[in-house]
Amino acid sequence: MDHRKDEWLAAIAAADDSRLRELDGELFGKSGDLTALVKGVAQLPKEERRDAGRAANQLKAEIQAAYDARRQELADAALAAELAAPDFDPTEPGPKHSRGTLHPITVVRDELVDLFTSMGFTWQDGPEVESDFFNFEALNIPADHPARDSQDTFWLDDGNLLRTHTSPVQIRTMQRMKPPLKVIVPGRCFRQETVDATHEHTFYQMEGLVVDKGVSTANLLHTMKTCLREILRRDLVVRCRPGFFPFVEPGFELDVKTERGWMEILPCGMVHPRVLQAGGIDPEEYTGFAFGMGLTRVVMLRYGIDDIRTLSGGDLRFLRQFEEVGR
Amino acid sequence: MKISMRWLSRYIDLSGITAEQVHDDLTMSTAEVEGIEVFGGELDDVVIGHVVEREKHPDADKLSVTKVDVGDGELRQIVCGAPNVAADQKVAVIQPGKKLPGNFKIKKTKIRGLESLGMICSESELGLSDESDGILVLDENAQIGKRFVDHVDVLDHVLEIDNKSINHRPDLWGHYGIARELGAMYGRKPKKIDRPVKIPTDGPSLDIVIDDAAACPRYLGVVIRDVKIQPSPDWMRYLLSAVGQRSIDLSVDLTNFVMLELGQPMHAFDLRKLDDSGIRVRFAKSGETMNTLDGQERKLQDSDLLITSGDRPVALAGVMGGEDSAVAEDTTDLFLESANFHPATIRRTSTRLGLRTDSSARFEKSLDPANAELAAHRFLTLLGELCPGARAAGPIVDPAEWRYEPKRVGLRRERLDLKLGHEIDDPKVTEILESLEFDVQRDGADFDVGVPSFRATKDVSIEDDLIEEVGRMFRYDNIPEQPLVSAIVPPPREPELYLVRQMLRVGASDLGTHEVYNYSFIPDAIVEACGDGESPHTIVTNPVAPENAKMRRHVAPSLLASLVLNLEQHADDEIRLMEDGRGYHPETRDRDGLPHEVREVAFAWTRRSGAHPYAELRSAVETLLERVAFPATMTESFGTTMSWMHPGKTVRIDRGEHPIGCVGAVHPQVAQRLKLPLTTAVATLDIRAMLRTERRDLRYDPISPYPPQPVDVALLVETSTQVGTIAEFLRTCGKKLVRSVELFEVYTGEGVPNGKKSLNFTVTLGAMDRTLSAKDEEKFLGRVRDGASEVGAELRDAGS
Repeated sequence: MDHRKDEWLAAIAAADDSRLRELDGELFGKSGDLTALVKGVAQLPKEERRDAGRAANQLKAEIQAAYDARRQELADAALAAELAAPDFDPTEPGPKHSRGTLHPITVVRDELVDLFTSMGFTWQDGPEVESDFFNFEALNIPADHPARDSQDTFWLDDGNLLRTHTSPVQIRTMQRMKPPLKVIVPGRCFRQETVDATHEHTFYQMEGLVVDKGVSTANLLHTMKTCLREILRRDLVVRCRPGFFPFVEPGFELDVKTERGWMEILPCGMVHPRVLQAGGIDPEEYTGFAFGMGLTRVVMLRYGIDDIRTLSGGDLRFLRQFEEVGR
Repeated sequence: MKISMRWLSRYIDLSGITAEQVHDDLTMSTAEVEGIEVFGGELDDVVIGHVVEREKHPDADKLSVTKVDVGDGELRQIVCGAPNVAADQKVAVIQPGKKLPGNFKIKKTKIRGLESLGMICSESELGLSDESDGILVLDENAQIGKRFVDHVDVLDHVLEIDNKSINHRPDLWGHYGIARELGAMYGRKPKKIDRPVKIPTDGPSLDIVIDDAAACPRYLGVVIRDVKIQPSPDWMRYLLSAVGQRSIDLSVDLTNFVMLELGQPMHAFDLRKLDDSGIRVRFAKSGETMNTLDGQERKLQDSDLLITSGDRPVALAGVMGGEDSAVAEDTTDLFLESANFHPATIRRTSTRLGLRTDSSARFEKSLDPANAELAAHRFLTLLGELCPGARAAGPIVDPAEWRYEPKRVGLRRERLDLKLGHEIDDPKVTEILESLEFDVQRDGADFDVGVPSFRATKDVSIEDDLIEEVGRMFRYDNIPEQPLVSAIVPPPREPELYLVRQMLRVGASDLGTHEVYNYSFIPDAIVEACGDGESPHTIVTNPVAPENAKMRRHVAPSLLASLVLNLEQHADDEIRLMEDGRGYHPETRDRDGLPHEVREVAFAWTRRSGAHPYAELRSAVETLLERVAFPATMTESFGTTMSWMHPGKTVRIDRGEHPIGCVGAVHPQVAQRLKLPLTTAVATLDIRAMLRTERRDLRYDPISPYPPQPVDVALLVETSTQVGTIAEFLRTCGKKLVRSVELFEVYTGEGVPNGKKSLNFTVTLGAMDRTLSAKDEEKFLGRVRDGASEVGAELRDAGS
């Protein structure tokens, strides 16, 4: 028997994975050589059986051990080869995933909406075609007021106009809902301007309005600073200085300190009593504050967009870049 | 507006306060300052020289050769091109190697063959005026060799104030008003502007008649005699120049000076050109014309206010004087106007004529009528000092009998604390208001405040205006912030806004569509190409371009235009766009008389060639509506209300009885006109129509423990037969056992006769209470076989 032992050990040592599986059958299978060997012991004369049996089992155990070792060796080698990954190309692209994009103004608007609604604000909007009353009169901007100059208005053939700011929604909201009010109004606005890289006749603002009993300038400062910190995602140095807008009194400009000096970012103020009255709210009982943010400007700052026209152009080469769905 | 620090110092002691500080403090309490310019800076290298000799340049008529002494014992030769250079003048000299403002380095040069060692400077070269006719000639007291800046002290810092931030403050349109603000900030009282020189009680005067007191609350006029045309003194010229006002001659400069000092525009007429009958302030007659100072003929309307003399217009009130009553070189006698006009009247005229002047810009801010009187006196005082002999020849005529009754406004302590959210103590409140020249009386815990006339025309009329005064002078930044306190109540949600937001997200992430923002305006060419020219459009009367005056009625045409643009600009085979937008329907009016706005989410998908994207878009819309819980059916023909849709290949999107939109192929003619591929599909969803239907309330469907039984069924039908019809038929045949019916192939080819197609479905059967048997399948197939002819079909093949 021993003359085959070396032959078997040599075969095991030389076997690759598939040969080893064959050897499993050839040696240990039903009619395998070693199975036969062990079975063959029973045919021997009784007195020889004991020694022969022991020798056969010992030989089988020895071959089995060699077989197991070889199998482990091959498994280890295979794992090492897989881990070494010499043919792996991490740059090879998979099939294209067809995906669309949201417009950057939608992305930033939704972020702001999420921020403000998390603080209890309601998201509102109103008509884009507005009457002189809602866009000007009710906001304490009577006819011939010089503030109308800076808001070059698109007028319509029916005497209405395209809203020059989102502020008319302040009045509409006050007329429709009872205080306490906490409202934001992101929306499309229009001013008659010649379009170039920094001017657009169509742009986006986000208005905010808070009306309740006892609302103060101190509340406005806290709310606005909190929001700016969240929007710009950093701790900020903010200053508050007088600003003039007919629909607030007092009015403020909030500036943020940047490397290039103070940046005007958030005009705001305490709602003018006449505006509260136009909204059907008693200014003796309630006070409030309002703010307006240039949504287009926030979008341009966020993505470093230097040409405002790209936002309304509808060019896929621009739109495709905005793959994020918000933060 | 430009404000000179040096000018301010005429009224208020600014020692120890830098221009930067004033810049910051004004910004934080009064008005935005945009920057600081230096005037008369960088002149340290300029020295005073004496022109000892002057000869004509031998080779150039217009050049002079001078010998100049700059005090170092040498005479240096300087070639000079100025016409006014002469021997024995004291002049400002810059030598080679030194610099003039703007980093302009002087070199030794040769001019027409002669060496020139430096330059004799003009005012413009010194940065002291915008233009000059020749060199600056200094007075005789100038000491040779001394630094120019030690002789003429001109260094100034000029603050640029943002006009928008003082629109509501007529009192800040002159230096004195700014000085008053600084006085309040720094606790340094500004000097009062001196009151009158003696004005004669008789003597020549012009009668003044004011037709409309509302249009002209006050008009003062005085006759002035013996004015000599002469240049203004240097100090005045440099102040005017520092704030960008060109010096002309004393009388003109004086009106400008007083305007820039007190904010009151005035006008000087040549007395000879006025009629003895006097002055009348009246509205123009329609069709009347006049020539303004700038030489333009102006066509007037009856809303334009005029100053007339002998019924002839001599000035466009508050805007510009007339050409033929203007002061000339030989004028010695003036009629000086100092008036107050109705702001909106002035603004209307100046806006209509496109004629914005320093004067109209001020009048439209609501000037203080008291200021008109002060300014007239101020003019006469300065004129008397600077032009000895010139004087008021008669009384100041002031027919309006305008008198200021100080307006009183209450300021409640409780209200002040509430609006600022911070308590500022009584002495501080009083100090602030008094420093701004308000009259403060106590009324218990409250304040009773008298408003000075210069703040009363517009800016301060109610309690909140006083709260602003206190707040801004206290400084808003000194108010400690306080969080809003409110009950925890979930904010109401506006379903329209959230529905659109979800639809866009599904459109981008599930449907692979890019969101576009288009203008609300739509070019005429697109409207025409879409065949929608006949529909009523809302029209902009002052569009950015005449062909862009229409407001769109629907979103889809804008999207088709976006497709065209993208197809032109890059090579993509397939483009998928969507937009959330509004359309404007002028034929329907809402409660406020505004055109009805429809809110739409629209999709436009195109493919340059290959299969028509209609079916994909339809499935996409189906998915979209499922995802946002508004599942709909799309089987009925849409009709022709949208002229850009293919009338035979567009289906309505219905939620039960209610149409909410359409999806279909683009009209072939529209595609042709726009140069779009025919393989373009469009879907429009009307958001408000969707919201008028009930949103699906999603319910859990129990999962059967028994295995499903898929059965494939192939039916032969006419090519015109709709998949939907057959699917519905299969559903009916399977009764309650049908779990799903899905088309996996439309087959035409071998084995299918011409004019027919084979629709191959997988119908999945199943039950909640048992495993289905072969019998169930046979029953189902039996019903299909028997009923097929009723829907014009024939069972071709079946099996599980």
